[in-house]
Amino acid sequence: MSDYETANIVGTPHLEGTYVSEMDMWPFEAQELNRIYPFYDNLRAGRFTTTKCRDCGHIAFPPQVICPKCWSENLEWVDLPKKAKVVAITETQAGAPLGFPPPLIMAWLTFGEGTPLKHLLGRLVNCKEGEVKEGDEVQFVSFEVPAHPMEIKRDVKECKRVYYAFEPVKK
Amino acid sequence: MAQKKNAVIVGGGTSKFGVRQATILDMVQEAAVACAEDIPGLKPADIDGLIIATTMAGRHSSALNTAPLVVHRLGLSPTSICIRLDTLCAGSNSAVIVAKGLVESGIAEVILVTGAEKVYLPQRWETNYTQLAVNDHDWDSAMGLGVPPPFFAMIARMHMKKYGTTKEQMAHVSVTNYNYGTDSPKGHFGGRTLTMKEALEARIIAEPFGLYDCCPLSDGASAIIIASEERAKAMTDRPLVYLRGTGQHATHSMSAGWPGDTLAEWPHLKVAGETAYKNAGLTPKDIDVAQTHDCFTISEIIELEELGFCKKGEGGPFVASGAIGIGGAIPTNTDGGLLVYGHPFGASGARQAIEICKQLQGRALHQVKDAAFGLTHNLSGTCAQHTVVVYGREPVS
Repeated sequence: MSDYETANIVGTPHLEGTYVSEMDMWPFEAQELNRIYPFYDNLRAGRFTTTKCRDCGHIAFPPQVICPKCWSENLEWVDLPKKAKVVAITETQAGAPLGFPPPLIMAWLTFGEGTPLKHLLGRLVNCKEGEVKEGDEVQFVSFEVPAHPMEIKRDVKECKRVYYAFEPVKK
Repeated sequence: MAQKKNAVIVGGGTSKFGVRQATILDMVQEAAVACAEDIPGLKPADIDGLIIATTMAGRHSSALNTAPLVVHRLGLSPTSICIRLDTLCAGSNSAVIVAKGLVESGIAEVILVTGAEKVYLPQRWETNYTQLAVNDHDWDSAMGLGVPPPFFAMIARMHMKKYGTTKEQMAHVSVTNYNYGTDSPKGHFGGRTLTMKEALEARIIAEPFGLYDCCPLSDGASAIIIASEERAKAMTDRPLVYLRGTGQHATHSMSAGWPGDTLAEWPHLKVAGETAYKNAGLTPKDIDVAQTHDCFTISEIIELEELGFCKKGEGGPFVASGAIGIGGAIPTNTDGGLLVYGHPFGASGARQAIEICKQLQGRALHQVKDAAFGLTHNLSGTCAQHTVVVYGREPVS
């Protein structure tokens, strides 16, 4: 019990720094745990993708298992635009969710006329507070996030994970 | 088919809202007693249906299948309906819509609608984690969208840029709501006052919001009785307050699906409002008093626009003109609203319903003279869904 008594971590002590899934901040990305895993595989390859309906042509975001317009299951993966314009920006110093180091910078992004993705709330990384201004261009970037244990039949495997955000376009 | 009945709100009450040393079930019991004090003679045996609205029960209290727990604690024995309902901040307002349908169709006669949240458990900081799960966890939340201030701050900035709304105009909302809510002893900030100077000089939470532009996250519970007209007449001598019309509209769960041109336009609220007005046989001009979802000062400003109380883009000057005060064009959040009475998500809609019930019965603390029609509104999620209920002293003819 000495670890229990001396553990200097925030939260429920006996979890020793790991947290139960309902407090996990990233998706279950492994093939064994969801049906849109190609999105995450594509992230690893530096691609920003989603599903397009082969029947009606609708492009959904986030990617789905069925088309939300016609409920067809006949979908294909397509690439999304990787550059966006910052319309509004918000920088959080206090009160950001744990695991998101301050300043947590989020922006309302638009992707331009004729793109399947009209707008999106996006986190900005690789920049300092005050560096990105309204009207600036940002670009898609993917990165590793903490892995997560998952139970597959009787084995516990490690689910390696990635996620994406946006960063300033170097001028 | 049997003739449609009329559904009315008989009365209701709340627990003390705030950071509470009490469990969710403790507070539901407090709310039930407050409800019974408001409807003298109300007994558990009178109630044939229960709807408990909560979001956090399960994450912050181990109370996932909440309805039976409430049945046991309140000594109920429902025969018509016994459910938990979750639409986050609109929970008990959604429950009013369900109760209305059940009573009007004759399935239920007397329904207890209660909403409750215990958020600050087991540790205060954990609420920031839970917020990731009440948004779209795998998408917006993984971008860091947890607590609402940053999102609504962007909404405010866009409204300021596009329509010229100012921080002073937003402060008019918080000062007005404090003038109302200071007299609500059970409110989170009951007893406190606020001046324009204090509002404008408060510490910044997320630019342009100062502390008083943001509602608190509260523990608390509220309870109301929705009954058929016939049963209500037997329960109370007060004027009856009819549930005239409702509207609920959702368009998306995460930002990619936002329906507006910018964040300053809330077309989904406009649709919910128009649906409720149509069902109620009324227009915005008919409404005498409103309880709208003032989670932030900018929210109340945009809601007044989209609900048709002023022109789009003119919400700022409208609130600054005194329109939301007693004697104004549309007195709003007359019990202090979310900003002052507090915001235990699932409990807020029923809290609003209590205030509208009192206003239309002529017994509110800040009474709007001859109020005949009232409106409640909640937004929920990252402004993804809107819920509107219209009340009146007469049923729809």
